[in-house]
Amino acid sequence: MSNKINAQDYPIPADRAYDREHHMWAQYDPPSGQVIMGIDTLGLAALGDLAYVSLQAVGTTVKRGESMGTLEAAKMTGDLIAPISGMIAVRNDEAVNNPALVNQSPYGDGWMVVIKSSDWDNESAQLVSGDDLSAWVESEIKRYRQQGWID
Amino acid sequence: MKWRLITDDGVTAAFGLAADDALAQRVGAGISIPTLRLYSYQSHCALVGRFQNVENEVRVQYCKANNIPINRRPTGGGAIIMGADQLGVALTIPARDGDSYSHARELMGMFSEGLVRGLQQLGVQASFRRKNDIEVNGKKLVGLGIYRAPSGGLLFHASLLIDLDIALMLSVLNTPFEKLSDKEIATVAGRITTVHREMKSQIGYDDVRTEIARGFASALNIELAYGQFTSAELEAICILEKEKYRRDNWVYQTSAVADTFGSSKIKTPAGLLDVRVTMAGPTIKAAFIGGDFFAAENAVADLEASLRWHTSQSEKVAGTIQKIFQSRSSEFSGIQPEVLIEAVQKAVARARLSESQIRADPYGCYVNPGSQYV
Repeated sequence: MSNKINAQDYPIPADRAYDREHHMWAQYDPPSGQVIMGIDTLGLAALGDLAYVSLQAVGTTVKRGESMGTLEAAKMTGDLIAPISGMIAVRNDEAVNNPALVNQSPYGDGWMVVIKSSDWDNESAQLVSGDDLSAWVESEIKRYRQQGWID
Repeated sequence: MKWRLITDDGVTAAFGLAADDALAQRVGAGISIPTLRLYSYQSHCALVGRFQNVENEVRVQYCKANNIPINRRPTGGGAIIMGADQLGVALTIPARDGDSYSHARELMGMFSEGLVRGLQQLGVQASFRRKNDIEVNGKKLVGLGIYRAPSGGLLFHASLLIDLDIALMLSVLNTPFEKLSDKEIATVAGRITTVHREMKSQIGYDDVRTEIARGFASALNIELAYGQFTSAELEAICILEKEKYRRDNWVYQTSAVADTFGSSKIKTPAGLLDVRVTMAGPTIKAAFIGGDFFAAENAVADLEASLRWHTSQSEKVAGTIQKIFQSRSSEFSGIQPEVLIEAVQKAVARARLSESQIRADPYGCYVNPGSQYV
């Protein structure tokens, strides 16, 4: 499988899993049981430049589908929805202090949190990854273009 | 399709915001019906945007001395005052499956259309300006914001100026003016407008509200039926008031990203050009364009609005300014777009360099940064 799938402006790396609704990504590290999470390029395309990001404190337990932080892009505000449940082990304070990092490097320096996963096997099954990724990305990009959300 | 219309007046800041928040949560969860709420706050309160710092935006001591509550909206944007002459608008609807934030952006146009239609029925020639304003000939009349609740419920917030005591607003909000005189009031009045001003009459609050409700019914193709909060909703609102909107850790929370401020002055044959910007990271949150050159106030307001929440990338700033000048160059009386582009870019560069900025100039919903206006 290629490392990056589809349009070069909206890379979706194939080495992680994605939440279909909230466009958050999750990457599992089996030896440690930890999951690093962030927002994907299509989610960012819809939001535009982030002005503020806040994240729950280290030690907080977050549940899949619930808030792990908040953001403001232009005047749109909302919650960052956790794709996977677990306890926050590390928080990316650099992204909190400089939200532009998230736009500049959503899969690198712009990651959000690392959690100690409590149910990766079951919850990751609800994310899209692997062989399903290519078709999902294509349909999402098509949908975004039809709606005029991206060029 | 039948949605609920709730009208309530004289609410406290904590109740007003908790009610909107609670409805967004419940509508998203499918346990409350889509609702349009048209309401007024008890005169007066100061409401800051989701990530603003209260100390930076509001004259806290003045508010305490005058019993003006301060609170924080779940929606973003600048600080505002609300009271009996401002119409609060809160539309709460469920997000469509799988649409996340994109759907909210698409709906902003539809949401604003409800307000625009209602205003036009009143004879106010209002129009939606991306991203978040409704204006009349470049002057801001309504501020808009969107919040997406974790449950998927969407809250569209608006503050519509039926009338506004500008002197009071400048006393409550921590504006950059060093003094408050007729000149400062006139300067702000040149950039905003009200329903009363546009209609040249003192139309009643309920008449405005009725037309706005009709505007929404028409724009959204829905039927609105008057209703009240249910007992379950009132219970949820009470909990949110207690656990969020009456707590200092919500109202007085601070953002990790300090606003940064930059300015530049350039002498031109047409007069001094004075540009100030307030930024959050690489985003221009607000811009002020002043000096002693002559320009149509609508053109200046138009330009400032175009730069609000704008990327600071040089080529995009230049493109936006050039676009304004294509249609309004004669209104800037000899100021060349290239000079303006240079001034804005210098101000942006200085803002980005101000690493240890502790206190930036405030930016209100209806007031821009700067100490001198054209």
